[in-house]
Amino acid sequence: MAKEKTYVEDIDRSMYDFRNEEKDEFRIEEGLTPDIILEISKEKNDPEWMRDFRLKSLDIYNKKQVPDWGPSIEGLDMDNIVTYVRPNTKRMAKDWNDVPDEIKDTFERLGIPQAERKSLAGVGAQYDSELVYHNVKDEVAAQGVIYTDIESALRGEYADMIRSHFMKLVPPTDHKFAALHGAVWSGGSFVYVPKGVHVDIPLQSYFRLNAKGAGQFEHTLIIVDDDAYLHFIEGCSAPKYNVANLHAGCVELYVGKNSTLRYSTIENWSKNMYNLNTKRARVEEGGKVEWISGSFGSHVSYLYPMSILAGRGARAEFTGVTFAGRGQNLDTGCKMVHSAPDTSSYVSTRSISKDGGISTFRSSVVVNSQAKNSKSSVSCQSLMLDAESRSDTIPAMDIRTQQADIGHEAKIGRISDDAVFYLMSRGLSEEDARALIVSGFADNVGKELPLEYAVEMNNLIRLEMKGSIG
Amino acid sequence: MGEIRNIKLNRLPAITWYWLNMNEASVGANFSGAAVVNAEVPEGIRTREEEKNLFPEQPTGAGKAFTKAVEASAKSVQVYTAPAGTKADAPLRLQYSYQDGDRSVNAVDLVAEKNSELTVVMDFTAAPDASGSAAIQTKFSAGENAVLRLVQIVRVGQNFSFINDLGGKTGDNARVEVIHLVLSGKEVYQGYQIDLAGYKSSLKTDIAYQVAGEGHLDMNYFANHIAKKTECEINVNGVLRDKASKILRATIDLKRGAVGAVGNEKEDVLLMDEGVRNQTIPLILCTEEDVVGNHGATIGRLDESLMFYLESRGLNKEEIYEMMAKARIDATVRMIPDEKTKQEINEFLGGGLEDDED
Repeated sequence: MAKEKTYVEDIDRSMYDFRNEEKDEFRIEEGLTPDIILEISKEKNDPEWMRDFRLKSLDIYNKKQVPDWGPSIEGLDMDNIVTYVRPNTKRMAKDWNDVPDEIKDTFERLGIPQAERKSLAGVGAQYDSELVYHNVKDEVAAQGVIYTDIESALRGEYADMIRSHFMKLVPPTDHKFAALHGAVWSGGSFVYVPKGVHVDIPLQSYFRLNAKGAGQFEHTLIIVDDDAYLHFIEGCSAPKYNVANLHAGCVELYVGKNSTLRYSTIENWSKNMYNLNTKRARVEEGGKVEWISGSFGSHVSYLYPMSILAGRGARAEFTGVTFAGRGQNLDTGCKMVHSAPDTSSYVSTRSISKDGGISTFRSSVVVNSQAKNSKSSVSCQSLMLDAESRSDTIPAMDIRTQQADIGHEAKIGRISDDAVFYLMSRGLSEEDARALIVSGFADNVGKELPLEYAVEMNNLIRLEMKGSIG
Repeated sequence: MGEIRNIKLNRLPAITWYWLNMNEASVGANFSGAAVVNAEVPEGIRTREEEKNLFPEQPTGAGKAFTKAVEASAKSVQVYTAPAGTKADAPLRLQYSYQDGDRSVNAVDLVAEKNSELTVVMDFTAAPDASGSAAIQTKFSAGENAVLRLVQIVRVGQNFSFINDLGGKTGDNARVEVIHLVLSGKEVYQGYQIDLAGYKSSLKTDIAYQVAGEGHLDMNYFANHIAKKTECEINVNGVLRDKASKILRATIDLKRGAVGAVGNEKEDVLLMDEGVRNQTIPLILCTEEDVVGNHGATIGRLDESLMFYLESRGLNKEEIYEMMAKARIDATVRMIPDEKTKQEINEFLGGGLEDDED
């Protein structure tokens, strides 16, 4: 215990909050116009259909309203956001030595190359708008697993597969920021796991946004064919600036029959970030999607991974923790759509609010009339660490068949004084006692993550708890 | 006949995704005249008529647009007052019987002054096969140490639409108990906003509903914890059958300053037939640290182990469902603090539910 305490006290936010001098090679002008979209498309060497898709998405973006049901995004002025920044590197590397020193140093400090060596089957690293590194272990590639940047895939052997899946789960018409993504997306990963292949160790993509006042719009497309398994980890961070940055990525997951896809995220964007991300999975017969989600960063977040249970017996699990501190308004949760018989969904979330932070758990469970014998269980718990903060739960259920078993529970409360007293009587300071209790509260996520990531998550919690007393 | 105006009502205190169509309801309103009330007023309770509502600023479950419509249409407000220290020995019974083609709207104020106890039973019925629509808005004030028990029963028939709106405020140590029974109606909109503004004041709400045919029930309940050590408990039991639909919006708002407040809410919905649709959105909003809020819901069919047990006792599936549906309503009927009303409701329900009456 004493050793871990010392370790925790050594943690410094500079781990995430360092910034590099902006030496980007190309930066598109601020704002959103058809000319800007055409320029991005030209930079990306898009096929014609993609260029047209971008323009159509821009048109939809201009017609869609800004959401009025969530946190305010008044501080986000798209006229001031740079939607494409190409870092100063010629091409995506397959060897860290080929990555420019400064960018490599960034990822070294974030521990990505080390993690790749120790515990990952492949890594993609995005810096601003471009992937700068992508690699997959030979033995995994030998199984037929494709893990590459989505732009290469768009023009290569998998072009047709990309075209038939790209923004089909999350159409640009879905909401304003899905349309924005469709217009300006760049970077991101494509993964294909062939039938029957179990990828035993995880793949990871890490997204780093260094450029001030810029947006990051990566697209992640994962197709797990039948009877296969994949664990994909997504990490993200950025240095803090005094102007708004924007993240409007998009994740589309296709889970084949009897397959399982686990998608883990530790989100630690800087606290000037507007995180308006969209994630969605379609699960076929007997398949399963498992979302593990830790939301710690961002100034404002809108994040609700959706699972569409399309095949008989499909399952979805969502396990999440959200920690909202000073200046943060994190609106997170999930959506479950049961569209086939014998489907099941399970949701377990924890929210923590502190120092004036606002956390909102927002969810929906929709059980359509054809989803006979479906089951759903939703449990959300919220912890208020002071009376300056706010914590809301807004869970919706829409059940359209009699043959369903739906359960929901929500709890909100504070840290028990008795528990703090007990831990203090065992020699912990009040701060450490409260941090330990909060870590335990968030253990639903921690226990689902690989050890290294669970440690990182606990460190983030302890970091947030610093100075929470008095 | 006046112009039908579309008004929004029953809006969630914190809205969510529009595609769910759960944020609010919309109804065509064309009110005219007031229904005649048959009142049984116990000794000690004062009655009077006012031109304006005594509590114009008090929010209600239906919301401002509906309040405006009531203010524009209702010519007067019927006020019933339990003076300070009065403990009425019988309930105040208010019977509203609506007629075919009705478009009436009534406004009622209930005042339970300091240290008083008042039980009010409001029964809304309609002539057999009557079609039409009616509305009522009730506002109340429960003074310091007052106890107000309010029973509202909606049984207007399958061709009649009804809006039952409630809003009120509690004083220190006041206790408010609300029983809402919705037994029939074509489209029924109801709910409340109750401000727990008095120290240690409490609110207990028991709601039971059965919706059948193509009926629709739209509810918006909002318990607003403002003062310290306030408590609320909301229990909802419902049965949906045929092609009925229902939405329950239920909010516990633990406001900053409501130190020591506790809010609990629970809903159990039994879905009887394949064509039903149930929407539930229970909110807990919280800006205070030292509070406890809980919500639980179960929706769907009966538990497998319960079914197995009862089937092993010789009951078939249909009998079990009917028995359990009746039990859910009966459990709330039994809470009505007035034997006469209880007996009438039992007679209304007969041996079973709405469908079995004819």
